[in-house]
Amino acid sequence: MASQIFHRGPTKPQMNITPLIDVVFLLIIFFMLVNNIISEQSVQMIVPQLDEPTTRQLLDDQGRIIVNIAPAEFANKERLDNPLLFDGEARFIRVGLQTFASDDLGGVTAALLEARSAFPDAEVVLRSDGALYYGVVQPVMGAITRAGIDTINLAAYMPERGAATVLIGE
Amino acid sequence: MTQQQSQSGPVDTSAANRVGGLADQTVHHRSASRRRGRPKPSMQPNLSAMIDVIFLLLIYFVTTANFTPDEGVLTAKLPQGTGKTTESLSPPQRPLNIVLSPAGEVACRISIQGYPQSPTDFTELAALLVQLQYDPDRGLRSGAFKPDSPVVIKPEAGVRWQHVANAFNAAVRARYTNINFAQVSG
Repeated sequence: MASQIFHRGPTKPQMNITPLIDVVFLLIIFFMLVNNIISEQSVQMIVPQLDEPTTRQLLDDQGRIIVNIAPAEFANKERLDNPLLFDGEARFIRVGLQTFASDDLGGVTAALLEARSAFPDAEVVLRSDGALYYGVVQPVMGAITRAGIDTINLAAYMPERGAATVLIGE
Repeated sequence: MTQQQSQSGPVDTSAANRVGGLADQTVHHRSASRRRGRPKPSMQPNLSAMIDVIFLLLIYFVTTANFTPDEGVLTAKLPQGTGKTTESLSPPQRPLNIVLSPAGEVACRISIQGYPQSPTDFTELAALLVQLQYDPDRGLRSGAFKPDSPVVIKPEAGVRWQHVANAFNAAVRARYTNINFAQVSG
């Protein structure tokens, strides 16, 4: 068929957009997958909102292992207005993409050891809902310690953009 | 391959004309336009509509890609080993203990062990922590704790994590560098 066309005189010039479509498809697939992975790794929760926070942005080029301590499910919107009024018990713990029961601290330690052996430089981020009791969070910090990790990053809301954070006693 | 196709092309056309059917219609169409000397129609499918849709999808996913933008981190040290909360250096330094106990379901009471003041919020706590600091470089001579003295946050089990993170943040704001979390008490 194609050869028939070529045999019959000049044709209208047409841009070959096949490579363009290839690239665009790749980008779409990439963003769909990345979106899924990010939302899988970040359980829905309200991280602590600090008074005059000193939080910093974790750099993207450092790998990160996210430890989520999931709160009770978000049943209604009221939770967003009064996050601390709600149950302080953990629903489950998620390390990376692995989910553990809230009392399976041995599993958390094992998963972290495994993740650290694969990515030795990765930073550990502890995401915990602000409403959870310290009695729930502290054992998880203990489990992280037992995996040989001595520095942890606590997730909290960033200050609003433009608002300067001034350290006291400057 | 191309040569074969070009040779078999006309043969196919005549065969299709003879036999008729669906293939016949398309072939017939083409030959008609050829006879009138019109530019032959392009055999490439029109992809513009598909590209439109794909670009829309692309823009959608690029803009909705949410890499948890409004969250930051506070870097904290964890006690190495299990039961210990402070490093036992020689000579051992007296730790500054920030005690948090629950007040009702939501709120929490803040106090510093050995000091009568009880800050009502974490801004006050940060100010008090600065007062208790000894750092001549910054003109702070009133306090007894150096910036690298151990600070231990001691919340009771029923204190909400939000308050614990807030206390930690207050200690970081007051420029303490050695901040630890205590085991659950009470």
